[in-house]
Amino acid sequence: METVQFLLVAFLVAMLLTGIHTYFGIHVLSRNIIFVDLALAQISALGATVAFMFGYLPQSPAAYAYSLLFTLAGAVILSLSRSWTGRISQETFIGVIYVISAAAAFLLVDKAPQGAEHIRQLLVGSILTATREDLFNLLALYALVALFHWLFRERFLLLSLSPREARQQGLRVWLWDFLFYASFGVVVTSSVAIAGVLLVFSFLIIPAAIGIIYSADISVRLLIGWTAGTVASAIGLGASYYWDLPTGAAMVCAFGVALVLAALAKPWFFVSKEQRRQAHDKTRSALIIAILAASFLSGAWLTFKPHADQPLLDALEAWYPAIRAPFLTNEEREIFQQAAVSAANVQAQAQQLNDRERNSRWQGAELSDEEVRKISSYVQSFQEMQKGEEFVQREIRNKARERQRWVVGIPLMLISYGLFLLRR
Amino acid sequence: MAASFALTLAFAVFTLLLPAAAGAEKIKVVTTTSDLRSLVELVGGARVEAAHLAAPSQDTEVYEPRPQDLQKLRNADMVIKIGLDYDLWIDTLLKNITNADLRRGGKGYLDASTGVALLEMRATGFAPPVGHSHGAGNPHYWLDPVNAEIITGGIMEALDRLDPANAKLYEGNRAAFLRQLKTKIDAWKTRLAPFSGRPVVAYHNSWPYFARRFRLNIIDYIELKPGIPASPSHLAGLVKKMKQAGVKVIIKQPFEPEQIPKMLADKTGAIVVSLAPSVGSVPQAGDYLSLFDYNINALAAAFAANL
Repeated sequence: METVQFLLVAFLVAMLLTGIHTYFGIHVLSRNIIFVDLALAQISALGATVAFMFGYLPQSPAAYAYSLLFTLAGAVILSLSRSWTGRISQETFIGVIYVISAAAAFLLVDKAPQGAEHIRQLLVGSILTATREDLFNLLALYALVALFHWLFRERFLLLSLSPREARQQGLRVWLWDFLFYASFGVVVTSSVAIAGVLLVFSFLIIPAAIGIIYSADISVRLLIGWTAGTVASAIGLGASYYWDLPTGAAMVCAFGVALVLAALAKPWFFVSKEQRRQAHDKTRSALIIAILAASFLSGAWLTFKPHADQPLLDALEAWYPAIRAPFLTNEEREIFQQAAVSAANVQAQAQQLNDRERNSRWQGAELSDEEVRKISSYVQSFQEMQKGEEFVQREIRNKARERQRWVVGIPLMLISYGLFLLRR
Repeated sequence: MAASFALTLAFAVFTLLLPAAAGAEKIKVVTTTSDLRSLVELVGGARVEAAHLAAPSQDTEVYEPRPQDLQKLRNADMVIKIGLDYDLWIDTLLKNITNADLRRGGKGYLDASTGVALLEMRATGFAPPVGHSHGAGNPHYWLDPVNAEIITGGIMEALDRLDPANAKLYEGNRAAFLRQLKTKIDAWKTRLAPFSGRPVVAYHNSWPYFARRFRLNIIDYIELKPGIPASPSHLAGLVKKMKQAGVKVIIKQPFEPEQIPKMLADKTGAIVVSLAPSVGSVPQAGDYLSLFDYNINALAAAFAANL
């Protein structure tokens, strides 16, 4: 129950972020200005830093006003940049805005107490600590922005998808560009504070990219993007809980996996039967070649460097340790076994001593400095012994590997090469 | 008459100038942290001119040195560091200094951790190339005020090496400081005695020495590895653990993030107390003694407010 509560607000916030960022992402991808959110987020962080320097607390209305003001200034520069770009792309301006506002914020904050952490919090964010209040604030803000974009949807879309036509129709490009960047800046300012730069970038680009891969129609793109974003957020949050991972990073990786899967699955959807069959054949032969290449390389690697890391054999042995046994004498097997037992043993002893010292900090008699030193040196000796036992295990493993190279390495190489020749 | 007057005048001027001349030859000490600076000022008194490099309001372990730091080191007679990989950047800076006294083993180089009984020692390597295996312990040893005796001992020896003429002065300063410290430690312990063994949670493992001296039971940390945000399962487990153990106080350093401690506090009814890890981390902690005055008062107030 506790867990569901823990993740529920974060998940709802993620859904909101997916909703609005997928829409903006489609714009951003069509305009080919991928890093604009980083630039706007950074310039709004600069605004918050200036407010901080003037003594306003982060998250106060004054700090928000400063952020907004800086974001609007950024929007002006970005909307002008379209007419400046001739030989250099718009992305150039975006990059310059990003690095300069980042560096300026660092210079300012260097003089402030708790400076570095302040900047870090602005950019790293923490979707886990989003509160119910944050959720409702975001909902209200995004509803306003969405309404605004819905009312003027034709102009915004025309400007992003076919700017030349927009100019021919006599649209005031500068004004509508400004309105676009300003509303986008407002969204990014709030979302980065909650989710951090990395995650917001993923929300913006990845669902939109998945939508664009599959469809040319804006509403279909949005639907696909929203679905993909929601599923990826749920999986990322779940994985972060299940495997004990930092939430933001886990979610970003889940988005990445979603994009890869979507790109790989593309040949199977929205295509004719014939095309699907071709895709199937291609995939099968690619898989076979990949497996043959991996086993050839593993065989060669084992043959020439038996003592190095052997990912394939390590994985096999971890899954089924008996694979190593036939390559060892009885005596070696026994030494290996004893070393494993002994390593676990000394580790437990070191742990016991550590616990004793730790508990003595607050209960029972205090340990004198002499006793603390004694425990430290015992613990270190135990750790050295543990490393010694691990060294013995590694040596025996190396012996096995040396024998394996003749029986496993060379045949593996030859067989995979032979199969490869047969296929051609 | 006139001659004797002139002589008296000359003598008077000379005696006036003498302390000034001695003052101009102060020993210039550069320390990595403000705590070491405070301690070296207590031992050296007016004979030293000390400066610290890392800002106490920021995390010393990730300090980024500035060009002026090099200038300070070029003019320095003595360098003191915390050691134990806490201020690794000082050794990188010292590579650019030609003064051999300031190199490891030089007479102006002091690793203040020497002789301290370290907690949480780890063997760092198997079969070191020379000598015994060196282990790195938890570096926050200055937060146990009893360790100040060992740290100031090292400082006094280093000052004696550079300035043997004033050895008596340094010994006197140190003895006076240690006497004052002893009374203070007794008072601090008495202040926290009613809360001995109370379970608390710390943001990061920065307080083992403090906990040992003042009998705190730090049951867990919010951030297990520096810079890597806590996972939701760790936090959910922490909430459960805090409720079971009855944790009423969460300790954080001023520069550590606020959101997660605040969230945990909301869920468990604990309160968050910000403790100063170094002299100058908060304005009230002006020197080594007031650092502990501040921390002990803040902690006692937090325990008392949330029984």
